[in-house]
Amino acid sequence: MQFQPVIVSFLCNWCSYTGADLAGTSRMKYASNIRIIRVMCSGRIEPTFVLTAFKEGADGVLICGCHPGDCHYHEGNYKCLRRFHLLQKYIQQMGIHPDRLRLEWISASEGKQFVELADEITETISKLGPARINKYMEVAKY
Amino acid sequence: MEEKRIGVYICWCGTNIANMVDVEALSKEMQSLPNVVISKDYKYMCSDPGQDIIVNDIKEYKLNRIVVAACSPRMHEITFRKALETAGLNPYMFEMANIREHASWVHTDRNETTGKARDLIAAAIARVQWHESLEKRIAGVNPATLIIGGGISGISAALEIANAGKQVYLIEKSGTLGGIAAGIDLTYPFLNSAKQMIDHKINTVMNHPMISVYLNAEVKPEFGKKIVGLVGNFETTIKSNGEETKLNFGNVIVATGLKPFDAQKVINYGYGKLPNVVTSVDFEKILKSGVIITRDGRVPKDIAIIHCVGSRNENYNAYCSRTCCMTALKYVNQIKSALPKTNIYDIYSDMRAFGKGSEELYSITSRKNMMFLTFDHKENLPQIKQASYEDPFNLLIEFKEKFSGESIEVPADMVILMVGMEAHDDAKQIAHDVGISLCGNRFFIERHPKLDPVATTTDGVYVVGTCQSPKDIPDSVSQARAAAARVLASILVGKVEVEVTTASVNEEVCCGCQTCISVCPYTAISYSVEDKVSKVNEILCKGCGTCSSACPTGAIRSKHFTDQQILSQIEGMMSASKSKKNLIEIEET
Repeated sequence: MQFQPVIVSFLCNWCSYTGADLAGTSRMKYASNIRIIRVMCSGRIEPTFVLTAFKEGADGVLICGCHPGDCHYHEGNYKCLRRFHLLQKYIQQMGIHPDRLRLEWISASEGKQFVELADEITETISKLGPARINKYMEVAKY
Repeated sequence: MEEKRIGVYICWCGTNIANMVDVEALSKEMQSLPNVVISKDYKYMCSDPGQDIIVNDIKEYKLNRIVVAACSPRMHEITFRKALETAGLNPYMFEMANIREHASWVHTDRNETTGKARDLIAAAIARVQWHESLEKRIAGVNPATLIIGGGISGISAALEIANAGKQVYLIEKSGTLGGIAAGIDLTYPFLNSAKQMIDHKINTVMNHPMISVYLNAEVKPEFGKKIVGLVGNFETTIKSNGEETKLNFGNVIVATGLKPFDAQKVINYGYGKLPNVVTSVDFEKILKSGVIITRDGRVPKDIAIIHCVGSRNENYNAYCSRTCCMTALKYVNQIKSALPKTNIYDIYSDMRAFGKGSEELYSITSRKNMMFLTFDHKENLPQIKQASYEDPFNLLIEFKEKFSGESIEVPADMVILMVGMEAHDDAKQIAHDVGISLCGNRFFIERHPKLDPVATTTDGVYVVGTCQSPKDIPDSVSQARAAAARVLASILVGKVEVEVTTASVNEEVCCGCQTCISVCPYTAISYSVEDKVSKVNEILCKGCGTCSSACPTGAIRSKHFTDQQILSQIEGMMSASKSKKNLIEIEET
């Protein structure tokens, strides 16, 4: 059985989720490894969400928000960016390869870019192989 | 705690989903998940019979949570929420799994797509367990309307609303009303005077008791944003002729219009260097002046018109501006009636004569003793050169005829470049100010291209006219009046449903650190010195959730996007994949 990574993706409702919808309505094709979760703003994404995804066995996590300056809520994507940098360092200390966590900006009109991103990230993570962190990790639950 | 009883409905969407996803197998499979009482699949869940299934099942099986796996929630979430309401269930006890836009339409392997759909539905089932009833909040609607832009679209919308007796604030950045339409001589296809049409409207607007016009106006930023508030109750401060005015209004119509393409960008045409190469904007001025003469004061013997300047070409704008072809035909008619002896060469790529009266204009024009020539709009654009002074003409146009491939030279004393429409340079700033988005060509995006072409994703903000896409006057006016109808409808109802998915503070847990206050973009959170906790103003909160992810104690909850809901969604999503992954690892070892 060939390794098929599972990539949990958090997409903001206004830009990236709409962009992914556009890829659908335009019938573009991409790898089926991306699993999308909708949040209102990338600023809503807590580190816990990302860590839970890894704990539950995700091989990669993708966060998408509006381009800088385009956030529906003005600046949620900047908040997300700051957390992302911190989280990148943190996951490395846990032994998770930094390429497994990505933050990208996708606007509502960038269906094509989303498709390219999905294929590219799937390939990157396929090369990295399965993440095994879920074997050793406990994330506190609220 | 009440018993959770979930109904799962998987849509075929005709063949759209069913072709790529084994919906029947999935609906059987979902039956076995915890708390799922009933699981069904149906051809079209969004149809009336489809919704009836949900409504009847809620009653029959006492369901209290519903999952529909179908298209994007951006499409039909509202439809199904209404169905829940019909059955007497709180509309927020609902979750949608997007297995069309995010699965069946974008993947090619049926097994893989079914697997992905399984994960998405399982995630929705896990999430809906934690959904809670949310009560709708109602706010009043301020009956005044702000219209940005005083062109034909803005004016039409303003008159429609003001004639219904409602206040309009019309702001215009230039010193006069009328916009582009005021600079046009005659309109196509019936060659009526634009001036007669627009002057009358401008006068009515200026003297209308319900319209306040602000010329030379700009919006002043507050809290980094120019228009604050939400549907029903916006406010802003504008600066007009040096005076500041504070305005309160319930709806916004954006009618900021277009910018003509800068013809200097196409080097081939020598616009700006060759004095007798003019754009369609310049030519309207020439027509309005009453005499068609070249820059050196001669009557032109040959006039050439070049279409698609800056349009339909990847190097400039890839889209068609819709109005240039017919405007060019209008010029042919106007020139022919003023200067019957002048030769006219209409150099086009494709003649787009759609809409009422346009094809007729084309056939009338083609009988007018003029010449149509074609060029390739994608490559080998025509080259305009200054003719030598011995030649009896001023300019020489060289190009390859599209069909024969032959090189052709056309003499001209004047060349008219049919420039396309572009979005304004500050379109992005305007979009940011009112909270809407731009498409790839920097026009404003409507909520739905077919079903909701005047509204935007921000409630209470409408886009009309050429700021939304290139269009002619009739289309702009129709759109403006449609938006006016929408605004009047919301004023008539007098109340709007306000976002209920706001943040709320658990005051028992809040430690008063005020981190949330520093991250809130709407200043919706304030610190209560008395209670030593943060409090959310639910009218200002728009539910982005940034505060809840910043809260160190977990005291702030984003309603409908709580930690528990999202974490369960992740767990539900991974449950199926996880077992598969373990299998691989066993194989490996």
